Amino acid sequence: YRDLHTFELQAPTRLIEWACGNRVCVAGYGQSDGNEILQLIPPPTLLTKETQGLCPERDFKVECGGFSERPVYSLKYVPDTSLLVTSGPPDSSLQVWQVSVEDSDVIKSVSTLATENGTGESWAKIATISARAPWVLHGSRLDRVQITEVESRKNVYTSDIQGKPNVLFLERGSEELSGLAFLDCNTLLLCCATGRLCLADIRQPQSLVEAVSVPSAPCSEQWCMGTRHGAQALEPSSQPVARLSSRGLLTLTDLRNTTEFLALAKARVPSPGSGAEFLCVSWAPALEGYLAISGFDGTVHVYDMQSWDSSGGEAEPVFVHKGHAFGGAGGSGDVPLVTVHTWHLQKPRTLLSAANDGSLHVWDWVQPCGKC
Amino acid sequence: MPEIKVTPLGAGQDVGRSCILVSIAGKNVMLDCGMHMGYNDDRRFPDFSYITQNGRLTDFLDCVIISHFHLDHCGALPYFSEMVGYDGPIYMTHPTKAICPILLEDYRKITVDKKGETNFFTSQMIKDCMKKVVAVHLHQTVQVDEELEIKAYYAGHVLGAAMFQIKVGCESVVYTGDYNMTPDRHLGAAWIDKCRPDLLITESTYATTIRDSKRCRERDFLKKVHETVERGGKVLIPVFALGRAQELCILLETFWERMNLKAPIYFSTGLTEKANHYYKLFITWTNQKIRKTFVQRNMFEFKHIKAFDRAFADNPGPMVVFATPGMLHAGQSLQIFRKWAGNEKNMVIMPGYCVQGTVGHKILSGQRKLEMEGRQILEVKMQVEYMSFSAHADAKGIMQLIRQAEPRNVLLVHGEAKKMEFLKQKIEQEFHVSCFMPANGETTTIVTNPCIPVDISLGLLKREAAIGPVPDAKKPKLMHGTLLMKDNSFRLVSPEQALKELGLAEHQLRFTCRVHIQDPRKEHETVLRVYNHLKGILKDYSVQHLPDGSITVESILIQATAHSEDQGTKVLLVSWTYQDEELGSYLTSLLKKGLPQST
Repeated sequence: YRDLHTFELQAPTRLIEWACGNRVCVAGYGQSDGNEILQLIPPPTLLTKETQGLCPERDFKVECGGFSERPVYSLKYVPDTSLLVTSGPPDSSLQVWQVSVEDSDVIKSVSTLATENGTGESWAKIATISARAPWVLHGSRLDRVQITEVESRKNVYTSDIQGKPNVLFLERGSEELSGLAFLDCNTLLLCCATGRLCLADIRQPQSLVEAVSVPSAPCSEQWCMGTRHGAQALEPSSQPVARLSSRGLLTLTDLRNTTEFLALAKARVPSPGSGAEFLCVSWAPALEGYLAISGFDGTVHVYDMQSWDSSGGEAEPVFVHKGHAFGGAGGSGDVPLVTVHTWHLQKPRTLLSAANDGSLHVWDWVQPCGKC
Repeated sequence: MPEIKVTPLGAGQDVGRSCILVSIAGKNVMLDCGMHMGYNDDRRFPDFSYITQNGRLTDFLDCVIISHFHLDHCGALPYFSEMVGYDGPIYMTHPTKAICPILLEDYRKITVDKKGETNFFTSQMIKDCMKKVVAVHLHQTVQVDEELEIKAYYAGHVLGAAMFQIKVGCESVVYTGDYNMTPDRHLGAAWIDKCRPDLLITESTYATTIRDSKRCRERDFLKKVHETVERGGKVLIPVFALGRAQELCILLETFWERMNLKAPIYFSTGLTEKANHYYKLFITWTNQKIRKTFVQRNMFEFKHIKAFDRAFADNPGPMVVFATPGMLHAGQSLQIFRKWAGNEKNMVIMPGYCVQGTVGHKILSGQRKLEMEGRQILEVKMQVEYMSFSAHADAKGIMQLIRQAEPRNVLLVHGEAKKMEFLKQKIEQEFHVSCFMPANGETTTIVTNPCIPVDISLGLLKREAAIGPVPDAKKPKLMHGTLLMKDNSFRLVSPEQALKELGLAEHQLRFTCRVHIQDPRKEHETVLRVYNHLKGILKDYSVQHLPDGSITVESILIQATAHSEDQGTKVLLVSWTYQDEELGSYLTSLLKKGLPQST
């Protein structure tokens, strides 16, 4: 490590979102009521380029907070507005909040975007964009994806059109989504828990391009995806999309050529025991070709995919963060499980990770073999 | 309405110069008397004119309580007691009483000697002020007067810091001062019992902070020290005589042992003896671990840490030195600093806040060329580091304390208004209590619901018990009696007994009502009609027709006379005593309805 800071949140979080002004947002998911959404100002050590050892301001500060009546599983800021959107069980509706730091330090609940809830509907995955207007893309199942304008609450797009459902959906049934993203203001990326990855153009609701399927597995495994958000304006479709399975399989797909894999590898992770709830894969925004995975145990792995091929062989991580496994109460037997991780937007090797014991780590790893 | 009034004179919605005025059941208490370290003029003192414009403070205030020795809690005490004028008792814990004068004198020296101020308290004033101090033990109930009592609780934070409970009758307030809910190497965590005060006044400075783990900070501190020592440099750590110094010593000692380091660590002369002396005296104030090990081996006698001699400063090679005073403003630490400042291999680590005007403050602000006595310029090439190990409660800690004490209301001090709204809501939601955050000079009134114990006479109790069902201990019961308040005692007695005791005669009240009845017959016939009518209706009552022509219903008397002007109308006089009010009114309304035709 070059640097490691450990913090303890009052309640564990399963999301870490960056907001403008280098703010970080976390939220509780444990209780049925009284979960807190906290917007934090990271300590100056994280904001400066050089690391300082004994800087006086080493703590996160809670800039503002809100109270959510339901567990917060997903949170996204709406760009160019002072709003953020959250989702969580028991249904797929969304909550809209307002952040106004100058007036008070309370994040106020503004409205709820209700959705039609079918049976067995779980919580919605969300993504936001402010292209033509502040939009939120949300849905919990492949055939129930919508884009809603945040302020007017108007539905701009649904995957289910006027009773004539998309043939593709009908064929395969409605699968549960594990993630979705805006590729640009017209293109959506949808990832199902089965591993299926689809591209949708909102101007042509009927058409859907499916990317190469993930290898089928002997036992059921869950998948999630990670897309790269660069610090600079990168051509979105040129960035490969990673898919991670609960068995540790990683597939990389180039969206310009979706018929085959760009690369395939297997991460060395413990055999699934903890389920796929906190599976997380993300690309480094300031480092070319690096990604990180977590959700299997108390560690976060960092990989350099540039040496990978399509063979599916085992990949060696460049770095493994084990801090959460050691940080805990010690001796209590329960090893903490990392719930989420994210990369710092500017500092190339700095990551933030959180675990289900409430710990929050900020760490800066050093390239082991000297190539920087 | 019984109420508690709280007015912060300082630390209302800002940090520094803590001073809170509390009015509880007619008693006035001042909590802390701090100095604001950021100002140089009168703004550094709390505004005492809020207390009383023209009266004498000694007459108005029942006592002053100081929570701990930090200057932002006791710095204005000598000014207050000697220059503004207060002669009443000042309460603080024993360690605070021992340490306060040292820090006050230190501070006085800097302000007057270094900064040349004139309107400041003198050394003699500090001494006179401390003469008014009454020291208290933890968990000891101290009677300030017949009605007011106070009790100190362990607060952690620094040696001798305490939280105070102020109680008058059954109303109470708990003031936390600065406290810490996580134990560290030399102090335990704050603790209070479920005393359920009407109000808990707590600081909220660090409520919005999510602290870096202590392990990380310690690791970084050790890394810096190690790096410096490895390259042959010298590390200077200016400390106050007590407090964090012990913590850092323990930390270094353990590290040196583990890493098998050879560089010497020194503790400057005077510090060792004083520190050990104080810690031995106040061993009960440190945490469990230390107390246990102290029995086996004195934790404050170190294997690797030796007493310092002035000459050592010139020795070549690496070393670590703890020296007083803490802000590099005078004495040994400044001497050593001047010797080592020119070498970039060396390092100085400032462990706490430095007052403006001191060398410590200057170098922390980035100054690298300092003017010393005799116009000498000192170039500072050594590394300057600042590290804060101060222990305050964060949001989690505050919630923990509230959970322990179970107050009915909470008041927040020491934080900025806009940044306390979230905490306020958090407290209100979780504990369903009201949460207040007044600004300086603003008075918050808290309505209390005190229980007033009253003695009830046996006779009254027996009488009440005979009436209804057996009283349920959990349900309130409505009773009639007479409340006698005499000489601070309350007694509930029956009216008869009260009359007797007070030597009063009982008065009888009798009501008479006239009811007009249309009846042309003679009076005695009307009476008969009425009698039969009432007899028929009031079967459970004793209705009698007396020989003198009147009717009695129980003790109520009914007589009939003819109307003076109209022979066809009879006037019934219905008369009853106050005790028979209910029956009397009933009868009257019954008769007003008229008599049935046939009788």
